[in-house]
Amino acid sequence: MGTILEVKNYSLSFDTPEGEIEAVRDVNFSLNEGEILAIVGESGCGKTVLCKSLLKLLPRNARVKSGKAELCGENITAFSERRMRQLRGKQISMVFQDPLTTLNPTIPIGKQITESIRQHQKISHNKAKAHALELLELVGIDHAADRFNLQPHFFSGGMRQRCVLAIALASHPKVLLADEPTTALDVTVQAKMLDLLLSIRKRTGIAILFVSHDLGVVARIADRVAVMYAGKIVEIGTANEIFYDSRHPYTWGLLGAQPALAMKTGELHSIPGMPPVLLNPPPGDTFAVRNKYALAIDYEEAPPMFQISPTHFAATWLLDPRAPHIDPPIFTKRRREE
Amino acid sequence: MIENRKTQLLKKTGLRLLGFLFTMLILSIVVFCFARWAPGDPLQSFYGDAVESMTSEELGAARSRLGLDAPLHVQYAKWVTNALGGNFGLSLKYKKAAMDVVTPLIGNTLILGVTAYLLVFALATLLAVTCALHEDTWLDHIICKIGTGIYYLPPFWLGVVLVLIFSIHLRWFPSSGAYDIGKAGDILNRIRHMILPLIVMIVSHLWYYAYMIRNKLLDELRQDYVFLAKEKGLTKRQIVWRHCLRNVAPTIVSIMAISIPHVLSGTYIAESVFNYPGIGALSIESAKYHDYNLLMILVLIAGALVVLSSIAAQTINEIIDPRMKETGVSAWQR
Repeated sequence: MGTILEVKNYSLSFDTPEGEIEAVRDVNFSLNEGEILAIVGESGCGKTVLCKSLLKLLPRNARVKSGKAELCGENITAFSERRMRQLRGKQISMVFQDPLTTLNPTIPIGKQITESIRQHQKISHNKAKAHALELLELVGIDHAADRFNLQPHFFSGGMRQRCVLAIALASHPKVLLADEPTTALDVTVQAKMLDLLLSIRKRTGIAILFVSHDLGVVARIADRVAVMYAGKIVEIGTANEIFYDSRHPYTWGLLGAQPALAMKTGELHSIPGMPPVLLNPPPGDTFAVRNKYALAIDYEEAPPMFQISPTHFAATWLLDPRAPHIDPPIFTKRRREE
Repeated sequence: MIENRKTQLLKKTGLRLLGFLFTMLILSIVVFCFARWAPGDPLQSFYGDAVESMTSEELGAARSRLGLDAPLHVQYAKWVTNALGGNFGLSLKYKKAAMDVVTPLIGNTLILGVTAYLLVFALATLLAVTCALHEDTWLDHIICKIGTGIYYLPPFWLGVVLVLIFSIHLRWFPSSGAYDIGKAGDILNRIRHMILPLIVMIVSHLWYYAYMIRNKLLDELRQDYVFLAKEKGLTKRQIVWRHCLRNVAPTIVSIMAISIPHVLSGTYIAESVFNYPGIGALSIESAKYHDYNLLMILVLIAGALVVLSSIAAQTINEIIDPRMKETGVSAWQR
């Protein structure tokens, strides 16, 4: 399994009249072929911005401050708009959060898909249509031929999301950025969508960067999980390591806030406070003020990434040999015993 | 299913036609009444200053001869019966059939008005797209500044300046008329006469519509579907032309429909500055001189244009965006 997308020391800021907003701060991760890597975190932690910035879909005031993203060994951060256009949809494509607004309301579904196909392949209209019908069937839309000329408002939310997925897959991209693709759908449709993503991964070998705030969804689909807080990745590891052996207090907080977990412990936790505004973030660990395990050093110096296993890293001073020993909260322990 | 759709279409067209006739009926009643109630004496336009030296018997006789002494509803009924037979009555000022006054001039106005109308919207769309493609860059800023500046030039002043420069100094274009004498059928000659009036009409309307379309396009560019279009690898141009403009098109078509009288009445200034024979100046005159019959026919022509164009706009919009089809259910009943 080779690495297909590698993000190194990636920092991104927005220049606003109030000052610089550091939306993504020193992010490192890699995505392997055929792998599903989930990025989880609260609203506003920079998940979506990270995805959009990989495709360069951000407004002009966004600026990559440092680092780079490499797709198949090529540094796409330095790509011109022209080269990005050839890349978008062809090598790397994206599924957005709200299927109700991402499709153009006046253009028939079929045309929106063939448009995507013909943008990257010089093929006849009929061939593109045949391919689009295949895609619609791949994403599980029955009677595709009859529905080919319908506008999006004839479709339900779940079906529209399937259409968006068909558009994203139109030119066989190697990487799919799925930005909360199930958040706007109801739970039963959500499950079907996740199964669909898994089956598509199996059939096409596409690598998926799956962004979500819902750990329940992530548990179902991800091979590896990266936990993001205030623009930084605070913990990254395999799904097993994150769900059964997490080390960062923020990950504990997220896990404790899961209703499914609360059923076992009888307590639904919440993380006190709000994520920080990333306009001039404070020194040290931005999570310290909300962290009941915070150490004095957390307020002075940001923790480095500590390695726990070959695949598991976490950025918390608790992992420093000099730190006091802290028992993880009760619910993670129980999980480990199970 | 197909048969059903056909009858549906027929029914719809029939209903709209009925609505059209009804609108025209109401319009004719309203204009008729207001014209009669407005102060002023129609005999003034018929006899000119001679009215002042006429005795009251002579005036009464003239009124009854012209049918002006009957009660209003009787006059209107008479007008409607005649109008349905194709007789729109006598123009009091020109002392010949109102129809004959209008016919030779309406062609001139329509050619000028429709050309200006189409050019205004074609250019407005082009300008709007250019601005949208270069939003917030120097090009957009310059177009907006110049557009606003030019929009506030008084059209009659601009007309006079254009005549000074292009007719008198450069002698490129004629300064007045719709065609040279004896050359009514010569298209090139007509075009040469139309250029200066067209410039005045386009300049005085262009930016209003261009700015409106530009802002609609900018709204549209901020919709979520634009991300998906970008994500497909489409260029900015493709996104604006294929996606955004298509979605703005219903608005443009609707604006075009309601602005028909706006642009057509713009011929008035061009007609008076360039002495272009048309019905723009005629309309103002007919109202000024209480020339009822002429006024009625001109208002009805304008009204018919407006109503027909809004029917056309509705039909076009339904083709562009089927969600606009009338379902017979209002938003509050859903």
